[in-house]
Amino acid sequence: MKFGLFYELQLPKPAGEEQWGPDDEKRIYHDMLDQVELADSLGFDYVFEVEHHFLEEYSHSSAPEMVMAALSQRTKNIRLGHGIVLTPPGYNHPARVAERISALDILSGGRVEFGSGESASEMELGGFGVERGLKKAMWEECTREVANMMVQTPYQGFQGEFFDMPPRNVIPKPLQDPHPPLWVAASRRETTMLAARFGMGSLGFGFETPDELAERTNEYYRIVREECFPIGHAINPGLAVLTTFMMGNTDAEALERSANGPAFFSHSLGYYYNPASGGKHQPGEKNIYDDFLAQNERDNTMSARTGFIAEDEIRKGEPKDEVQRALYRAARSGTAVGTVERVRETLKTYEDNHLDVMIFVAQCGDRQHDHIMESIELFGREVLPEFKERHESDHVKWREEQLAGIDFPVNSSI
Amino acid sequence: MTREEKIEDAALRDLLVGARASMRQGQSTEAMHGLVEGLYRLLELKPELATEQLEPRPGWKMPFLSRWPQYGANWKKGSLDAGQPEIEFVRDRFALSEAITCYEFLLDTAINRGA
Repeated sequence: MKFGLFYELQLPKPAGEEQWGPDDEKRIYHDMLDQVELADSLGFDYVFEVEHHFLEEYSHSSAPEMVMAALSQRTKNIRLGHGIVLTPPGYNHPARVAERISALDILSGGRVEFGSGESASEMELGGFGVERGLKKAMWEECTREVANMMVQTPYQGFQGEFFDMPPRNVIPKPLQDPHPPLWVAASRRETTMLAARFGMGSLGFGFETPDELAERTNEYYRIVREECFPIGHAINPGLAVLTTFMMGNTDAEALERSANGPAFFSHSLGYYYNPASGGKHQPGEKNIYDDFLAQNERDNTMSARTGFIAEDEIRKGEPKDEVQRALYRAARSGTAVGTVERVRETLKTYEDNHLDVMIFVAQCGDRQHDHIMESIELFGREVLPEFKERHESDHVKWREEQLAGIDFPVNSSI
Repeated sequence: MTREEKIEDAALRDLLVGARASMRQGQSTEAMHGLVEGLYRLLELKPELATEQLEPRPGWKMPFLSRWPQYGANWKKGSLDAGQPEIEFVRDRFALSEAITCYEFLLDTAINRGA
């Protein structure tokens, strides 16, 4: 199993304030650069950064290609993942996506992971005039063409349902052959299976449990072997899942440092993705963090956040709807929160179920930069090495067995 | 063993197998029409789905069938609330990713409900 860090660049407004401080955005951007640089030096495999627009407090990461360009010059080995680029053409013209991905691949020495998706928040769809009912079709058409643009010399041009372009040579071309590994954001099981059919890695945002993962992994790899019709020119078989991450010298310390980060992550995500609230967001005015604190007071959910509650106890209260369940788990599950021993033991259950990549949500809510740095350091020194060793000795072999007989070219960093 | 083989009802199974074959041939619009037929067949077999409610959060209910991905083969307005689900096609063409997503939803639901 490999490991990565995940960034939304969350920035809750200060409690009771209408706006952030003048240096707050600068601070989280530079904190992220420091965190990823440290992770790279310790052997973390990936960083994935989102692209979101207008989602104040929840995500200030609207130009990930800029951050990735900066990281390409401050890191040596860590893979630079777009988690994800919004590919419907209302957000980004496909040629611009291909150009940026390729340029970053060159700057980073071939370290780019190209994740794509479409988003579902009214703030973003409405802000760019992307029709909700067509966004998946747009994603498919444009993602396929971005891959073609990175491979064809010259790009043969395209007349599609959602964009047209005459023949042009889209340059530069990426270093990786034929193009960087392809991923898709998957918050539902259906999309994970779609990823398998298209030969893409699944960036799972569902906070899946090890048990769910076992079934999902088997079915995903079966589809890759038997029913794959690739969207790109090389497949990237792989399952990644997110979990919350904070370490400490004692469980109590880790829990205290984890603070209300995961609960705010869940609250603000639910706020924007629920049409009843997100669709009525008042840009530039609302303080979501104040709402969050008030709700915590009412529901006493702070006491239920990221605690060391038995997993089966957590499961009892879970919503049946998959997306709501992911939000619930994001707030409460403590997969990678705790001491070295606790985190090691929990992650081992994912490793036993053949997870390819575990991605940590470290930066969220109002967590402290120095605590995140210490967690990265602790994990990198005390936990990561043994997983790396088993990845090479066991998991690589397991993947070879899963992918035996596949005729498609593979470009995967797993 | 494909997951479709877990479905007991032959008619529903055939519709899913047919939709998958259409997808493999790049005929995603045909696949989507077959999937809607399959959805109706599932509702015949499991009529309780028409009125089943999810409760994502305390006090907030939503019809289970609202989880059917609405890419243009959509629930007719008001039909879910009335407990008489009816699909209307508001688009003529569908993308492969849309058909695949609806296929996975129907397949999962059918297996989970023992259809």
